[in-house]
Amino acid sequence: MSIFIDKNSRVLVQGITGKEGAFWAKHMKDMGTQVVFGCTPGKEGQEVEGIPVYHSVRRGVAEHAADTAMLFVPARFAKDAIFEALDAGIRKICSVADGIPLHETIQIRKAAQSCGAMFVGGNTSGIISVGEAMMGTIPYWIDRVYKKGHVGVMTRSGSLTNEVTAEVVRGGFGVSTLIGVGGDPVPGTRFAEFLPMYEADPETHAVVIIGELGGTMEEEVAEAMQAKIFTKPLVAFMGGRTAPEGKRMGHAGAIVTGGRGTVQGKTAALEKAGGKVAKRPSEVGRLLNEFLKP
Amino acid sequence: MKLFEYQAKEAFREKGIPTPEGVLIREMAELDAALDKVGFPCVLKSQVLQGGRGKAGLIKVVQDAASAHSTAQTLFDSKHNVRMLLVEQAVDIDREIYLSITVDPVQATAMFIGCAEGGMDIEQLAVTAPEKIITVHVDLREGLGTYHINNLLYGMGLSGEIAKQVGAIARNLYKTFRAYDAELVEINPLFVTKSGTVLAGDGKLNIDDNSVSRQPAYSLTRDYFDSDVEFAAAQEGIPYLQFSGDIALMCAGAGLTTTVFDIIHDFKGTVATYLEFGGANYTKAVRTMELCLQTPSKVILVVTFGTIARADVMAHGLIEAIKIHKPSVPIVTCIRGTNEEEAFRALREAGLEPMTNTEEAVQRAVDIAAGRIK
Repeated sequence: MSIFIDKNSRVLVQGITGKEGAFWAKHMKDMGTQVVFGCTPGKEGQEVEGIPVYHSVRRGVAEHAADTAMLFVPARFAKDAIFEALDAGIRKICSVADGIPLHETIQIRKAAQSCGAMFVGGNTSGIISVGEAMMGTIPYWIDRVYKKGHVGVMTRSGSLTNEVTAEVVRGGFGVSTLIGVGGDPVPGTRFAEFLPMYEADPETHAVVIIGELGGTMEEEVAEAMQAKIFTKPLVAFMGGRTAPEGKRMGHAGAIVTGGRGTVQGKTAALEKAGGKVAKRPSEVGRLLNEFLKP
Repeated sequence: MKLFEYQAKEAFREKGIPTPEGVLIREMAELDAALDKVGFPCVLKSQVLQGGRGKAGLIKVVQDAASAHSTAQTLFDSKHNVRMLLVEQAVDIDREIYLSITVDPVQATAMFIGCAEGGMDIEQLAVTAPEKIITVHVDLREGLGTYHINNLLYGMGLSGEIAKQVGAIARNLYKTFRAYDAELVEINPLFVTKSGTVLAGDGKLNIDDNSVSRQPAYSLTRDYFDSDVEFAAAQEGIPYLQFSGDIALMCAGAGLTTTVFDIIHDFKGTVATYLEFGGANYTKAVRTMELCLQTPSKVILVVTFGTIARADVMAHGLIEAIKIHKPSVPIVTCIRGTNEEEAFRALREAGLEPMTNTEEAVQRAVDIAAGRIK
């Protein structure tokens, strides 16, 4: 078992005829993901890597049952494509688009919430349930990172995902499901909103979160732990401990203002809730061992 | 993208929010004409993007032409890179109000924040008397309703003619927020004059970086930057920060670069520059190094672990950049990810040792900067 996607997920790919869409749809399929159809307006009748293409999501789902949508659609068209998937009844959606306008990310999150759907992203590398299915741009073939196991991983940062997950594997563990929530200021789904799913997943024995300065997502994880919504071991690594206040380092969400959103504050909240915080990526394996090995 | 006060106020006026009369000047020669138009007393307001301008002495009230000239000269000459002054009519202030709209990422709404006591100490008030800070959430799909405005005004304890004016300003502030794809619009202080008029004493308007391309009224100009190199990096879309230490960072990805920055400090090193060439910039090693070399450093540290930003492409780019720019300082490389075997081979052939562990690479750079190894 795993969360969000597994080998039974039926995934459609929007924007499949683009260069990136075609490339990653093939990798998703090669890894074992059921990619049931793709869509690009005006391209119905074509095939991409053996995957049939339709003009629209509604036309595709009329022929092939699907429950999950992966978008390789440019940022300026992302809102429309996400709303199209929601309109066609899809309730799990992920977009890798980097640069979705802020006011649209707000409306996307609200729309998904109001119909009981989950939108993951944008500005993410996607989701992988190792050995089961992948949606996005995750290099599952790097085996010193993507080894099957029992540690769930959630990340705000694409570039730190490989760096930190490699340390999970070096510590003697593997990964159940890895979710990139993305680096936008308003991610579609927040860390804490995945915790009930990890809590319920028997294959996940612990969770690693890869956070950073700015925002309140790590504090919300601490609150969920305090409220016993999540009771499994949790290890966090966060970048930006020494970032100067007021300077935007990296992601749009990663800015500290008025003393809020500091890694120090997040660390204190997580430790108080019973989590362990790695100062550097290399400590993640050791901290997992403290929890999971007698 | 943060706009200057004068630009925020232009946007406010366009949407019907009153402001004191003001004239922007870029040099001393323009001062007299501005003073003629605005009259005395007036306020000379330095147009810089940093907060706390009042406390930093960058906003001055002047009573006559002589003091206006000496004060303006002092402001232009200050170390704060003051390139423009807003010469603004001084108003008789009865009280100050706080009003802003930002984004609530959890509720996925716009959020008004209002407080009947505005001014410089609003952050302090948020801590000591949080009940005085009123928040009202607005679903962007539904739009702004009369009930939102009522909850805001009555929550702030406003009534009568003042409430009517603040209500109109709040509606127009929401229009500004939406029209400019803002992440923040703020009026602090919102003046209530002794004659009972409400007008924006200050203005902040930050446009969402992902929406700048559809806001053609505001393009990046040299005004927004302290140095030419920062302006050049921004035009290329290469994230760049300047510090005064030893190690020049050329890394890929925001999270990894920030983490390398932390580890350098853990190992008692210092950072000269922070440059990212990940994501869409992963083929820009040559340009990134050119920008990097404009600030003196003792060592260049390259750390990547990319997927789409392929290791082999980045390694070849780096080698090309070295050929072109011939940096005089040593380079430490830790380039991993997709096609890393080819990256390692190419780096070795170019005489660079390919490291694979981030912390060891940082340690090496710190040791080189400290003169412990070459």
